[in-house]
Amino acid sequence: MQIASAVEGNKATLSLNGRFDFHSHRDFRAAYENALGESGIREIEINFRAVDYLDSSALGMLLLLREKAEATGKNVVLAGLQGTVKQVLDIANFGKLFSVKA
Amino acid sequence: MSGASLKILIADDSPSNAKQLEILIRRAGHVPILAGDGRSAVALFQAESPDLVFMDIMMPGMDGIEAVRRIRALPTEKWTPIIFHSAQDGMGDIVAGLEAGGDDYLVKPASPRLLLAKLDAYARLLALQQKELGYIAELESWRLEAEEQSRLGAHVMERLTDAEGLRDPMIQSFNLPADTFSGDLLCAARGPGEVLNVMLADAAGHGLSAALSAMPLTQAFYSMTAKGFPLSSIAEELNRKLKALLPADRFVAASLASVDARNQTVEVWNGGNPDAAFVTLDGKVSMQWASNHPPLGILPDGLFSGTTETVVFHEPGQLVLCSDGLVEAEDPEGRWLGLGGTLDLLVGADDPQRRFAVLRDGLNRHLAGRAGRDDISCMLVTMLIERRRIPRFAAPMPVHQGHVAEWQLNLAFSAPELRYIDVVPAVLGFMTQVDALKPHQGTLFLIISELFNNALDHGLLGLDSATKNLIGGFEIYMQHRAEGLAALTAGRIGLSFLMHEDEGRAVLDIDVTDSGPGFDHEALLRDADLATNVTRPHGRGIALVRGLCSDLVFSGTGNRVWARFLL
Repeated sequence: MQIASAVEGNKATLSLNGRFDFHSHRDFRAAYENALGESGIREIEINFRAVDYLDSSALGMLLLLREKAEATGKNVVLAGLQGTVKQVLDIANFGKLFSVKA
Repeated sequence: MSGASLKILIADDSPSNAKQLEILIRRAGHVPILAGDGRSAVALFQAESPDLVFMDIMMPGMDGIEAVRRIRALPTEKWTPIIFHSAQDGMGDIVAGLEAGGDDYLVKPASPRLLLAKLDAYARLLALQQKELGYIAELESWRLEAEEQSRLGAHVMERLTDAEGLRDPMIQSFNLPADTFSGDLLCAARGPGEVLNVMLADAAGHGLSAALSAMPLTQAFYSMTAKGFPLSSIAEELNRKLKALLPADRFVAASLASVDARNQTVEVWNGGNPDAAFVTLDGKVSMQWASNHPPLGILPDGLFSGTTETVVFHEPGQLVLCSDGLVEAEDPEGRWLGLGGTLDLLVGADDPQRRFAVLRDGLNRHLAGRAGRDDISCMLVTMLIERRRIPRFAAPMPVHQGHVAEWQLNLAFSAPELRYIDVVPAVLGFMTQVDALKPHQGTLFLIISELFNNALDHGLLGLDSATKNLIGGFEIYMQHRAEGLAALTAGRIGLSFLMHEDEGRAVLDIDVTDSGPGFDHEALLRDADLATNVTRPHGRGIALVRGLCSDLVFSGTGNRVWARFLL
């Protein structure tokens, strides 16, 4: 999986590309830790538009990010949900845990 | 190789040549071993296992080419470089030497500078090999340790999942691990009222770490089921347990179901698993329970919801639970079996009894001999409508002989407690401590829960059982009940138990009072008489209690009931 990071004002966007699974662990953490460290950032958006699959360990990584973001007063938004990705997140009812944007 | 000393075998039949090489090697800080012909070179190679070999070709008896061929044929775990050192300088000799297994070829007399440079070059290669062998040994010890942990994990997991309850004739299941063992967990057990509880849990990931996440669930599931706790309370407790034990990125998707063949209901809590489904015997998917909650172990107590969905089934059929490994099982082209594909297989079976086999076969065809990427599990619970009015454990039991210790227990619950305490399991928990009552646990659960629910539903909440007669009525009734209970601010239910002897017979008297307005109990008893003959959803409870007790008397305005149970 490739991750492109961008910061605009107080919002950081991580655009994911490819298969989000166990092997993405290190890259994903490295990408969000930058954003967590910036005190000016209030919102971290994870964009799934180019993700074609995510497994349960990816869900675990999102939960871990959510916990760390809460501790630093930041909000995590899931965006660009479509196809299989949307289906997996819906079954896990992640809409009840995260802000979701179309 | 700086510092490290090599053991070097020199095979040469000329003592002066050997001596020259020996001195050079010794000066470079290595240890020479001498062999005067091919045969002793092979013997010394085996005895001393040197790090490097200098081999002459022309020697009496066995020549160098043959000696190298034999050395290379020996079993070995490491590479030992062999350098031919010979006066033969023809192309044919050099090629023959390398083909026999030599690594290098120096023509005699080689200059000391060249010999030393070669020694150093091979020392560097050997150091690299040494490092690699170290890594391999380390990997091997990791592998052995991991295997040992897996073995232990698989053993414990097998014991935990090998539940008596899964051998229930109503249940068929499979659990195919992606790893040494599965992170999917299947449980089944009967509660005191003959209700069958099942659980299919799927921990994030697979292998040991996933199995470890699922393990805490079993004990709570079995003990709470045995005590008769409602499904929502079991879900809440399982979530509480996992939330306390697991790190933030670990969770367990689960579907829990409670199957009540007597009341013809199926109750489901689904958090993170694919839809649970009910397939009628004639092959219609009559109900699907989608995941309504996040998986277990994520939400804190206050935010977690144990809300279940109950459906009345009017014809027999099968409840199907599965993990996402089944839905996401891939064929060789990477296409998922899907929920639709799964249900199509089940519905397509010509004989409902063969559905399980058809699903297994269909899955095997889909996977085409390859293992699943994730653990794949599925459970089928076959439900037949029980027409019998009296449950099977009400078969004649030996009359309790001898003296019983007399005791009395009085309990009173007001609205705030009624809202959150599971009264019946709490009371039953005490009852099962009394030896004389132990064999009657199931019957007592039925009697107490019917009388208590009657007091709560009709006495305090004013619910009308007739609602249950409507189509979809049971669901409406349960919803009204949940809403009424949440809004309950006043009211009181008293429970009193007296165990004693009457006319030489041990008896348990049960007295239930509520603060409600009462009701026309004579009409209810008339109804109850009807209910013994006619299948109707209300009045059945009272008819059942009447069948199980020797006496049943309503008094007051109908807000007090007294029942006697013979031991």
